[in-house]
Amino acid sequence: MRIIVLGAGHVGRAIVEALYADHDITVIDTDPERLQALADRYDVRVVEGNGTTKRVIAEAGIMDCALFIASTSREEANLVSAMLVKKLSRAMVVVRTTSVEYLDAWREREIDVDFMVSSELETANAIGGLIGIPAARQTDVFADGQVQIVEFDVPANATVIGQPLSTASLPKDSKVVSIIRGEKMRHPSGQERIEANDRIVVIGSPSAARQWSRVISDEQERVDDIVIFGAGQMGTTIARVLMDRGIRVRFVEGRAERAREVAEELPNARVFHASAFDPEFFQRERIGKATAAVFALNDDPGNLFSAVLAKTHGVKLTIALAHDQSSIDVYEKGGVDVAINPRQVIAEELVRFGHDPRIRQIAMLDHDRFEILDLTVREESELAGTRYDDLPKTGSVIGAIIRDGTPIFPHGDDILKAGDRVIVFVESRRASLVERVL
Amino acid sequence: MRVKTGIDIGSALDLVGGVLKWLAPAFLAPVVVAIGYGEPFWAFLVAGVITGLTGLALDQITGDKQGAAVTPRESFLVVALIWLFVPIFGALPYVLDGGPQLNRPIDAYFEAVSGFTATGATLVPHIEELARSMLFWRQLSHWLGGMGIIVLAVAILPRLRIGGRQLLQSELAGPTEIEQLGDTIRSTARRLWRLYVVLTLVAIGVLMFLSVTNIDDVMTPFDAVGQALSVVALGGFSTRTVSIAAFAPITQYAILVFMVIAGINFLRLYRFFVQRRVDVLLKDEELRLYLALILIGTTLIAIEVIGGGHAHGEAGVRHSLFQATAILTTTGFATADYALWGPLATVTLLLLMFSGASAGSTGGGIKIVRHLMLFRLVRRELEQTVHREAIVPVRVNRRVVDEKALRSAIVFVLLYLLTFAAGALLLIAAARRAGEALTAFDAFGAAAACLGNVGPAFGFAGPYGSFAPFSDLSTWICTVLMWLGRVEIIPVVVVLTRAYWRS
Repeated sequence: MRIIVLGAGHVGRAIVEALYADHDITVIDTDPERLQALADRYDVRVVEGNGTTKRVIAEAGIMDCALFIASTSREEANLVSAMLVKKLSRAMVVVRTTSVEYLDAWREREIDVDFMVSSELETANAIGGLIGIPAARQTDVFADGQVQIVEFDVPANATVIGQPLSTASLPKDSKVVSIIRGEKMRHPSGQERIEANDRIVVIGSPSAARQWSRVISDEQERVDDIVIFGAGQMGTTIARVLMDRGIRVRFVEGRAERAREVAEELPNARVFHASAFDPEFFQRERIGKATAAVFALNDDPGNLFSAVLAKTHGVKLTIALAHDQSSIDVYEKGGVDVAINPRQVIAEELVRFGHDPRIRQIAMLDHDRFEILDLTVREESELAGTRYDDLPKTGSVIGAIIRDGTPIFPHGDDILKAGDRVIVFVESRRASLVERVL
Repeated sequence: MRVKTGIDIGSALDLVGGVLKWLAPAFLAPVVVAIGYGEPFWAFLVAGVITGLTGLALDQITGDKQGAAVTPRESFLVVALIWLFVPIFGALPYVLDGGPQLNRPIDAYFEAVSGFTATGATLVPHIEELARSMLFWRQLSHWLGGMGIIVLAVAILPRLRIGGRQLLQSELAGPTEIEQLGDTIRSTARRLWRLYVVLTLVAIGVLMFLSVTNIDDVMTPFDAVGQALSVVALGGFSTRTVSIAAFAPITQYAILVFMVIAGINFLRLYRFFVQRRVDVLLKDEELRLYLALILIGTTLIAIEVIGGGHAHGEAGVRHSLFQATAILTTTGFATADYALWGPLATVTLLLLMFSGASAGSTGGGIKIVRHLMLFRLVRRELEQTVHREAIVPVRVNRRVVDEKALRSAIVFVLLYLLTFAAGALLLIAAARRAGEALTAFDAFGAAAACLGNVGPAFGFAGPYGSFAPFSDLSTWICTVLMWLGRVEIIPVVVVLTRAYWRS
């Protein structure tokens, strides 16, 4: 498939990285250096110029391209070029936006593009999911929230350790799809046992996911007080998602003007104009009593510093945004509980358009070693009509089947049918194989 | 040599002239009444001609100002001047008629200011002795001043298409955002007046019905029209010496309802009645506080009235409710001589004088929304003493009130209290000089009632009495207080600053 990506920034780069192996990609950007860096690393064509002009889009080969992804950080540029492409060609057009308002307008069909995705909203939803499941390392929801996938690190004192999975009392409506022990990954059978320091991946219903959280760690704290550091676009979007769930949100923002704006915008949030690095402020406002803190400052070192400070004041769950993929490891070394890269999140969203068109959603785990696919079984699939236990073990597990709108978490005797929507956990390198056989 | 100032005085005077020109035809109404009752009418005719000629003259002197805009700076001067000048012409019929109660210019001017500012304080001890046409003119002056001659000017003067917004903003009582009801400021002003006229007609209709069906056998059709003109303007002049006490309880209830309605922000009323937006009233925090204050006031007064044996049962509740509403909305009607009630009632009434009606209503006083803003401000200050870094925007009706609006509310309330203090002190000093028996409480009452455009105060200036016993000096003090109250002090203070006149 011919794909044009507008923007060679972090998001554009992540898209290229995920798609260049299987597709012909052309990248448009105004900055020759960024294009050069991209071309040096990946096998892509680059076009230098303003992507909002007809000339440049035509030069990039819009006429015979199937997918156009506008991924720059400038909304208006994305929209203008998307409109142009929509007029000039029949390519599917996907637009990245930071504005929830544009997103709403798109949903109301007032903006004529095929898909619109917002890194802010995706990240906010991811964090919202995490906060519901405090023990999770990473989580994602599928099928309109009916299926949740969660990655846990199993602590030494967890109650599930040592028992065979078939006999252990585990939450209903859920499956352990993978146990990662060191560098090795296993797709567990009933006899498998979970050991301390394993990393496990569970697919289940949202309530099962919450029960798993309790199985993994017995801290039963109800999450109701979240402090968000940094009240930018990202921070406020996260706050909105959390407040929609009835969670109390406190903001810490260093810029007076922005703090005032947010206080006016979100009447139910408490906004502080204070430094995220001020221990006395933490003390005064009892930041340590918060059940979780989200660090959405503009720079990664700031996020790390503030998160460590929060940790020392007693915050249980610290979630920090990483603007740079390389920061994630540093965060983890520094004791940050969860690191999220918004650009990675949005890249995941955008990458799915380059996959099999049946795929509705894709998520990546563990530095892209694993993917979770959400796709529909074809009529002519060789596996349709197969018993669950008889499915080939090719480095992939079907974690959930959505049949007639209701999720099934399959076991031995369940039979896969054509037309089923399946949530598949798969090693990234085998993803295309799964797409082929299903 | 012409003195150079930053103010276009010509433009301001031109506008005053324009308003006077349009005021002139209003004098025809009492002429019609006079003819109807067989009373002399030449006083109104002459007054009308003088007003019209003065207006034309001002227009001529200042030359062609069609293109000149009234900037916010001039609008302060215009507002201050209009409320000063209009009563001068409004007082002409009283003087020209030469009746025994109002023939002295100072007395006539007091009565006219009290009329146009919709205050309702009177110098006439025996109201019924005035001619019908004269009584009608008093009531009509309330009605003209209630919604505001300036709002009317914005609605009809073509040249106010430019600058009308500032003028309307500085004219409409209290801090109210001119949510444009129409596409233009002119059509907004027109709609406000249309609503005012319709409300008046409904009030006339209801009271007239009570009168002609003899449900109230005391009230004549003349009384019905008179009270209606007064109540929608939240004025307070009555065609009877004993005010509303002269009429049957059912009439008192009817008037009570109209007072409550006229005390609501007209912009909201318009949205409610015409655009059928129920939510603008249901969710209005100012309206809630307004009704709550009426209820609290009523309860406190009822304790005194019923407990003190001044009235019993239904009458006790009615008097308390009516009086609390009449004073809070700054109308100044009375169904009983509340000046005779005990201290719990009189102190409550004195405090209610400082409440005022809603912003954008026809009432005076500090206005409910300012109290609301200050209350929220206090709450924020207290919150910030605990959470030093917290940023807490002050909200009214879920909308953020900007710091400038908060500051001007504080400044207004301060100036208001300062003016009240100065007024009370001056009244006491003047009383001492003239040897009047004015108690401290009555001085406070008179100052608050004039500044708040309430009308009757306590003691001899109570609801059944009049301001006639005051010396001329005291009368002047009261006149200035009424004027300041109507223009909401700030335009006058601004005009008096040196910076205002510098370019």
